[in-house]
Amino acid sequence: MTAAFFGAACTNTIGAPLAAHRGVNVSRAEDRKKAREGGSDMTKFYLILGVIAVVGIGAVGYSVGSNTFGTAASEPVEVPGLDDQATLVAMAQGVKKGDEDAPFTIIEFGDYQCPGCGEFGLSVEPQIDLLLVQTGRAQFIYYDFPLTQVHPHAFLAARATRCAQDGDKYWEYHTMLFRNQSSWSVQQSAIGAFVGYAEDVGLEGDAFESCLKSDEHADVVSANMRLGYELAVPSTPTIMVQGFGQLRRLRNNSYQGIEEAMAAIEAAAAAGN
Amino acid sequence: MTEDSIYPVDDMGSAASATPPMNRMVIAALALVGIFVALYLFAHNLGLGGPMVCGVGDCAAVQSSIYAKVGPVPVSAIGLVGYIALLVLSFMGIQPGRRDSRAIGGLLLAGAFGGTVFSAYLTYLEAAVIHAWCQYCVISAILITLIFFAALAEVPRLRGNRS
Repeated sequence: MTAAFFGAACTNTIGAPLAAHRGVNVSRAEDRKKAREGGSDMTKFYLILGVIAVVGIGAVGYSVGSNTFGTAASEPVEVPGLDDQATLVAMAQGVKKGDEDAPFTIIEFGDYQCPGCGEFGLSVEPQIDLLLVQTGRAQFIYYDFPLTQVHPHAFLAARATRCAQDGDKYWEYHTMLFRNQSSWSVQQSAIGAFVGYAEDVGLEGDAFESCLKSDEHADVVSANMRLGYELAVPSTPTIMVQGFGQLRRLRNNSYQGIEEAMAAIEAAAAAGN
Repeated sequence: MTEDSIYPVDDMGSAASATPPMNRMVIAALALVGIFVALYLFAHNLGLGGPMVCGVGDCAAVQSSIYAKVGPVPVSAIGLVGYIALLVLSFMGIQPGRRDSRAIGGLLLAGAFGGTVFSAYLTYLEAAVIHAWCQYCVISAILITLIFFAALAEVPRLRGNRS
């Protein structure tokens, strides 16, 4: 239509009716041809958009859907019998590292979403590992104490480490969670990130995910929490040093604090003898 | 109007109204790809996208940096809105009757320019400040740059005499 209008305007302007008439016909024919080509272009265009949309929806939908659905226990569960001291001690299981016969035991009650625990895990724990655990001076035990009221992913994170333990990658995963704490802590759902870390440490993703999206190990983590409450754990990380029949809680959560506590215990034991 | 001035307008007008402008179709297709890239990042920001599949670079470092948000708004959300706007505009711009629209052309050019400048700033942050690359940000930067080049084809249309 636009072309026809301009064709007509052109005829009147140049004053050559026959030529103009031929020009209008040619112009209209060209318009029809262009319109057909335009329609064809639009069909191809919609086809391309459709392909992009299908691929995009599929990729994003799969990524979101596969990590969103599934009921993962992310809150403490009721474990019957924990009021009984013997049952509680049997149910609460810390994860141990080092020689069971070592003269000292270093106990941590920790929360994977707590920044202080992350700092302790990444700066002090390697020193404990190198200087105390590997030398046989101490055994290290980590008990879960997720502060679920302030750290919404902490319980799930503790369960995630237990799922990693099923694949013999507990400590690797433990460190991985602390190393990436600032990333997964701020996410609305951490499940996807946890599965990714599992794969990063060499676990089989599907098995880990299936464990995570269940209530597996929720009872152990809940029992560990109860043990912490029974021991009046005030905050995280709470570090205790046990040896020679004594238990000391650290006020200063540093490697030096641990050495000082061990020295004090040894001195007290020597004085007692 | 003179004969010289009429024919070029006639030719341009006929061609423009009968066939959809190729550059706008290209912008629409690229913007749609950009929407899904931004959507993936945004889903990840919401914790819905699971672990970010990052074959090249360190997406986690970039996405967890302070530059991943403008105030409380994730950069991915800004990108998502921008790409949607470009898609809607370009889609409108290929519909019969709007193929010669200078308003749409101007908005496309301005939007693409703004997006390219913003993307260049983010790329600078990755290179010089964060010292880490997020492959999706790089893909987005390439997409918006291509969109800008495609939008440059609006310039002759904007300089034309007809609205």
